[in-house]
Amino acid sequence: MAQDSTARKLDEAPPVRDAKRPSFGGGKPPPPVRPQTPFASNLWLAVLMLLGAEAMFFAGLIGAFLVFRIANPVWPPPFQPRLPIEVTGVNTAILLASAFTIRLGLKAIQRGDRSRLLRLLSWTAAAGAIFLTIQGIEWFRLLHFGLTLSSSIYGGLFYTIIGCHALHVFGALIWLLIVWQKARAGKYTRQNYVGLQTCSMYWVFVVGLWPVLYGLVYLY
Amino acid sequence: MALLAWGFNHPVTTWACSVCFTGTGDAVTDGFNASVLFLMVTPYAVVGGIVGGLLFAYRRASRKRAQSESEAIEHFAWIQEDSLR
Repeated sequence: MAQDSTARKLDEAPPVRDAKRPSFGGGKPPPPVRPQTPFASNLWLAVLMLLGAEAMFFAGLIGAFLVFRIANPVWPPPFQPRLPIEVTGVNTAILLASAFTIRLGLKAIQRGDRSRLLRLLSWTAAAGAIFLTIQGIEWFRLLHFGLTLSSSIYGGLFYTIIGCHALHVFGALIWLLIVWQKARAGKYTRQNYVGLQTCSMYWVFVVGLWPVLYGLVYLY
Repeated sequence: MALLAWGFNHPVTTWACSVCFTGTGDAVTDGFNASVLFLMVTPYAVVGGIVGGLLFAYRRASRKRAQSESEAIEHFAWIQEDSLR
């Protein structure tokens, strides 16, 4: 029994001599070998889900705003300062322009143009910083005029909704600066730019949200 | 569905719910109605956006794959003797 279980060399199958050889006219060649890459990266999917959650968060805030706004025929309430519509309108245009620059930056890296990408990312970051600065100045003025978080429902809603958006812009700006630093270090190439792509998605979401909030809180 | 149909046929009774208060025409009621409607629609819009994004990414990847297939790819030679078949 022990003798039967010892390893021994198996008989090799003799090569088939008379078989046709497909690569030499004996049939169709085998299909080419390609890597099995998923259609979306994990990071892209994660950011997509994050944006869905963010959209629901802001939907909750907008829902609360709608209740108070529609319930009060006189809006803004009497003896409350008016919001700066014109300056914020210009600020809106600046922020919208930043969405175009970041998308152009994405196109630039898809072509492999790294210097153009860096330039466009710088413009985007500058536009975001200008937006936040103008918002900050306007907030100081409103606080000076007596509109605070606890002064009225009007003030509470304004600072909560616009403040949450400003925090998101600030977060997106930090993310953008990290991406800019990585782009400067040459981390993004024509084939690999998913970090930049996800940052661009988030930035465009934050920018796209602002006209909705501006229309509701400032103009409605 | 039956309850919903009954509610539509007896609107005055359904106005007595905790958020409808006094029926239509009241500003607070209109505010709540608009807000509830908006919050009911938003999840569909968000999920639709996510599904749309996935479809867009899938189609773009398929287009890129089709483009790369048309380009020259090195075919591996099939040698029958080496395959041991």
